Order: sequence, then structure tokens, then C-alpha cells
Amino acid sequence: MPEAVQVQLKRGVLELCVLALLSKADAYAYDIASRLAAGIDMGEGTIYPLMRRMQADGLVDTYLVESSAGPPRKYYKLTQTGQTSFTAQKAEWHAFSTAVDDILGGVK
Amino acid sequence: MSRQAFLNRLREGLRDMPAGAADDIIADYEAHFAEGEAAGRTEAEVAAALGDPGRLARELKAEAGLKQWEVQRNPSAAAGAVFAVLGLGAIDVLILLPILLPIAGVLFGLAIAGVALFGVGGFVFAIGPFVGTGRDIGAAMLAGVGVMAGGLSLGSLTALATIGFVNALVWYGRLHLRLLKPALEPTEARS
Repeated sequence: MPEAVQVQLKRGVLELCVLALLSKADAYAYDIASRLAAGIDMGEGTIYPLMRRMQADGLVDTYLVESSAGPPRKYYKLTQTGQTSFTAQKAEWHAFSTAVDDILGGVK
Repeated sequence: MSRQAFLNRLREGLRDMPAGAADDIIADYEAHFAEGEAAGRTEAEVAAALGDPGRLARELKAEAGLKQWEVQRNPSAAAGAVFAVLGLGAIDVLILLPILLPIAGVLFGLAIAGVALFGVGGFVFAIGPFVGTGRDIGAAMLAGVGVMAGGLSLGSLTALATIGFVNALVWYGRLHLRLLKPALEPTEARS
């Protein structure tokens, strides 16, 4: 796959992936970054601009939790808007990926 | 790259952001290093996985600039958004310049014309009572008001067009945003 296509694909689904992780449980940025880095091979630094944008867009909210080691951790949780956006984006993704799979299935 | 070198380069890249916002961002990355070390990684490994701090700073600034433009539509926010997008290298300036400059020039000309028209109208309105006699006074004042209104509407149409123009530019920038590109290819930093 051409590199550019791969980059565009990953960029498009990154926000969806973060929403999905947070819909399961609240998490702190390092945790999100390392899980995404392991799963879809993206740079860990990317998570911070993304989280900042999602917070500015009102999709996520933060709160501090005391940590046993070191300073308090900043946890992210989905807002109501974030939850709604996740449901909508997930449905779109399923429709889109099913359509692409159907087409790819016919082409050998 | 060491933790300190990474944070220094990030801070350097963020220096024209408001101090509070930059400090917040730096704190995020400091926490990331702390977490990484607690998980048994070296500073160099964490820094490599994070990517290029200069590029991250440009992304963070671009995000802030675009957000500012969405929140408040004023000339300085517009300039900020345009420069943020250009700073990302998302738009090839050399290719776009021949298109951008004439449009910007026309908009600028229209704005000047609007202001001038408004001024002329005001002038006619103000001196009307002194030069004319009888019905002429009323006519001159009315004409002055008319020209002023014309100037105003030309001005506001220009403002609308400018907003549309900046929006289009921002849209184009976002479309071509390389925001995540280098961070998605961390291999060069890792090796």
C-alpha cells in the first residue's frame, strides 16, 4: 500500500480509536498512547495534539487522580458529546468498511 | 535525544504561544517521560517514540491557531490561522501564491474602496448644508447617506468574502494536513 494512503487511513481513524478506548474506560494519555502505538503503529507524540483538539471540541474531559508513584495523573473521559460522536462515527466506519470489503471481495 | 533536550526543543517551538498554554503542553510531555521511565524505558527510547519535538510544536500551534479562528472571527485570528496552516508546510506556498496574492489583493482593494466610499458619502453629507440651497441641501444629504450605505455594504460584503476565503484556506490546509504524518513514521527518529 502506498505510504500516503496508509497515513491518511490511520489519521482518519485515530480519533475513532481514542473514542473507542475511552468508551470502555477512562484512561491517561500515556496509557492511550502506548495502546495505540502497539495497535496501529503510530507515534506516541501524536496523542497530545489529538487529545488537546478533542478536549477543545468538547469530546473529552479531564480530571486528576493521585498516583502512587510521582505526580497526579490526568485522566481523560468521554463527555456526552463524545459518546454521541463515538456512536455516530462507529456506525459510519462500519458502513464504510463493509462497503469497501464488499468491493474488495469482488476484486481478486 | 535526552528528556531535557526534547523538552527544550519543544519549549523553543512553543515560545510564541501564551505562557499558560505552553506550560500545560510541556507538563503533558514531562508526565509522559515520567510514565515511560516508570515503565522501564530509557529517556532516549521515550523521546524517539514521541517523534520530532519541533514538528509536534508546529502541530500544537496550528491546532491552537485554527481553534482561535473558529472561536473568534477577527483579523488577528485570521492571520494566526493562515500562518499556522502555512507553518505546517501543509500548503505548498509557492504553488498557491499566484492564486492567493490576486485574491488577497482584490479583497484588500474592495475593502479600501468600501472605506473610501463611506468617507466620500460622509463628506457629501457633511458639506451638503453649506454648499447647496433649498432642496439641494436635502438632496445632497440624502445622496451622501446613500453613498455611505453603499460603502458600508461593500465593506461588509468584502468582510464576508474574506471570511469565506480564510475558511477555504483553512479547509484546504486541514485537508492536506500532514499533522500526523511524521509521528506516524517514527522510524527515522527511532533508528
